[in-house]
Amino acid sequence: MSDHEKDTAESGGLIRLTDTASGNSPTESAPGLLFNPPIDIYETEDGLVLYADLPGVTAEDLDLQVQDKKLILFGRVARNQNAELVPIHQEYRTGDFLRSFILSDDVDHERIQARLTNGVLRIELPRAEKSKPRRIEVSPG
Amino acid sequence: MPVFRWRETRSLLPDLEREFERLLEGVGFHVAGRGSGRSFPQLNLLEDADSYVVTAELPGHEAKEIEVTIVSGYLSIRGNRRPPAEAEEESFRRRERFHGPWQRRIQLPDRILEEQLRADYVAGILRVTLPKAPSGQPRQITVNEGP
Repeated sequence: MSDHEKDTAESGGLIRLTDTASGNSPTESAPGLLFNPPIDIYETEDGLVLYADLPGVTAEDLDLQVQDKKLILFGRVARNQNAELVPIHQEYRTGDFLRSFILSDDVDHERIQARLTNGVLRIELPRAEKSKPRRIEVSPG
Repeated sequence: MPVFRWRETRSLLPDLEREFERLLEGVGFHVAGRGSGRSFPQLNLLEDADSYVVTAELPGHEAKEIEVTIVSGYLSIRGNRRPPAEAEEESFRRRERFHGPWQRRIQLPDRILEEQLRADYVAGILRVTLPKAPSGQPRQITVNEGP
C-alpha cells in the first residue's frame, strides 16, 4: 500500500474498503475536468453497499472495473450538450468522475453487482462466504 | 433553506481530499471538490436567442418527485432526496452524499412564456427550458402637464 492510500472505512466490520488517491483512469485519460464523486457506504447483513453520485453519466459511459484488489469507477459525461448556449450564471462545471478503492479479501469479487439509476451508482459488495461466521462442530473426545 | 448535511461529514476527510487534489494537479487535471459545503443542487443558467435554460445536478430522484414552479419572476425547484430505506442510521461508514429536503430559487433575467415551460430529467440532470417572451413594442408615454 502506498502512502497515498489511506484506510477510510474501518469502523469495525470485517470488510475493509480503502479509498485510493492514486487511481489511474482505466481507459484513456481525457483532458479536462475530473471530479471525485461523493459516496455513501453502509453495511448490510450480506456485505457493503456503496452509492456514488454521478450526474450526467449513463450506463454506457460508465467503466466499473475490479482489477486485482482495486475497484475503479470512471464515468464519462458528455461535454458539448449546451455548446450552443451562452452561460449567464454558473455554479457547477461538467467533468468526468473518477474514484477508486482497495477491496479487502473479505469481499467476494465474483459477486459484485452494480446498477446505475438516475445518475446514482449502487454497488453491492457481498461478503465472501469464508468470512461469514461458521459453526464448528465439536466432537466428543 | 437548503440543508447541507454532508458539510460536516465531509470534513472528516480533509487530508485525503487534499492529497487527492494535489496528486491530480500534478498530472495536469483541474480538480474541484464536489462537497465543499455548497447548495444542493448546483444550478447553471444559460440562454440562447429564444430561451433560458436552467440545469441542475440532481442525481437520485424520480422525475415526478421534482417540483418545478414559476412565481413572480423566480424559478423554484424543490424535492427531497431520501437515503436508501434499507440503510440503518448506524450502519453508515461513509456519508458524503446529500440527503434531505432541498429547495433552490433562481431569478429569471427576463419575462418568459410560463405556459411553455418544459422540464426534462435525464441521468440525474434536470433541464428546464423557459422560452423568452417576445419583447413588446416600445410604447410612448404621454407626460401630462400639471395644473
